[in-house]
Amino acid sequence: MTLALKSLKSFFPIGASNPKTIAFTKGATESINIVAHGYLKKNLKKGDNVLISAMEHHSNLIPWQQVCEETGATLEVIPVNEDGELVLKKLNTQLNHRTRLVAITHISNVLGTINPVEEVIAAAHKKNIPVLIDGAQSVGHYPIEIKKWDADFLVFSAHKMFGPLGTGVLYCKDEFAAQISPLNYGGGGIKNVELSNTVFLDYPHNLEAGTANIAGVIGLGAAIDFIQQLDMNETTRHTGELSTYFMEGLRSLGNGRRVGNPKNSGSIISFQIGSIHPHDVAGFLAGSNIAVRAGHHCAQPLLESMGVPATVRVSFSIYNTRDDVYKTIAGLVELKKFWS
Amino acid sequence: MKDDLKKLYSAIIKEHSATPFHFEKPGKVKNTIKAYNPICGDRFEVYIGSDERMVNALYFHGYGCAISKASTSILVKTLEGKSRKEALDLCDQFLRFINKELGSNEVMLSDDFLAFSGVHDFPERYDCVLLSWREMKKFLESGAVATKTLRN
Repeated sequence: MTLALKSLKSFFPIGASNPKTIAFTKGATESINIVAHGYLKKNLKKGDNVLISAMEHHSNLIPWQQVCEETGATLEVIPVNEDGELVLKKLNTQLNHRTRLVAITHISNVLGTINPVEEVIAAAHKKNIPVLIDGAQSVGHYPIEIKKWDADFLVFSAHKMFGPLGTGVLYCKDEFAAQISPLNYGGGGIKNVELSNTVFLDYPHNLEAGTANIAGVIGLGAAIDFIQQLDMNETTRHTGELSTYFMEGLRSLGNGRRVGNPKNSGSIISFQIGSIHPHDVAGFLAGSNIAVRAGHHCAQPLLESMGVPATVRVSFSIYNTRDDVYKTIAGLVELKKFWS
Repeated sequence: MKDDLKKLYSAIIKEHSATPFHFEKPGKVKNTIKAYNPICGDRFEVYIGSDERMVNALYFHGYGCAISKASTSILVKTLEGKSRKEALDLCDQFLRFINKELGSNEVMLSDDFLAFSGVHDFPERYDCVLLSWREMKKFLESGAVATKTLRN
């Protein structure tokens, strides 16, 4: 745990230099739930609101929806245009004196859109509203500048950054640390227990009830050590090049269509091939050992707003090559022939 | 293209997914079953016209992969006009065949059903094949009586 924390400390050279700001969790989902139920809920009253965007993964939607329902607060939503970008022209109106938190993703897990998180954080901070950034798609793949962004909370998952499943991180600024209560109680996390009362440790140790996922956290530390050896600018250049190459191939198919067309995009691309169902596309490609994902990607409201029930999604990483892209396009050509 | 994929997407399945049987919402609907897979988002509605004894008419509509669409199409085509008892027996046999509880020589199923044997190499697609069948079986077992006919 200590070694993993050391890796994390150097991973966030400025923003997370204080280890007291980092809690190990089961993943981004649990991290968000801790903020929703362990911090926000006690500050949320009827008439308040929480602002999210229409492109959130269910894990950055349902926790807020539920605390709003439980407290009588309202869930407000930043809309998304047909290109799959946030529509921020009404942001200043949407951020009002009853907004208690903003929660948005850095990069869309469906469309690949890279959101202007710095702009959103700056606008929210002008009104003293804290902001949570879902970094599940970006940490380990894109430069994260916590201090520059001035994010209040950042959450991410190990399994999206070469680490093990079931492990993640909740980062919060010092000023929020004392306000985060645990969701789970048990052995660990305590200073003193009496039959009538319990005194808890300070954050993050107050979240450590039960047996810690030590293997997972060590795996996360190893993943971070690995990522630190990478040149993040080179990483994004490589995956960007593969995305461009893939888009050229997709366009050449004739019936290939990207879902959304964000100007600032990461290496995540959702697409459709004519009227062939995404699961049939994914199953076909799997036959050639090409792993893509099909479905609603845990973002049903986003897909509904884009007018599609499901998509196929490719995402490129450092280990992918131009040959992988070529094989994927060749697989799609074969698929098209099979269904013609 | 691998042989197991060719077997999965057999000619019968391709044909039924391309031109599904009774793939429309009839004008007069009082009873439907909803077949929904929240993991992938596939969603069909099967419109039923039946009385205490017979499954008189079946139509369906919705969105799903080639496998789930073909399997629902075959459900509609096969069970329409059957007695509830026959329909339930076919549902039961088909579910047990797909779940490998019965072999192809142990069931009295037509080629349309046996076309799905290719799914045995793709256990992750069992849910696609059985999506509507499971719900239809529940409906038949419930003894619910739907509108007698779907057409005036």
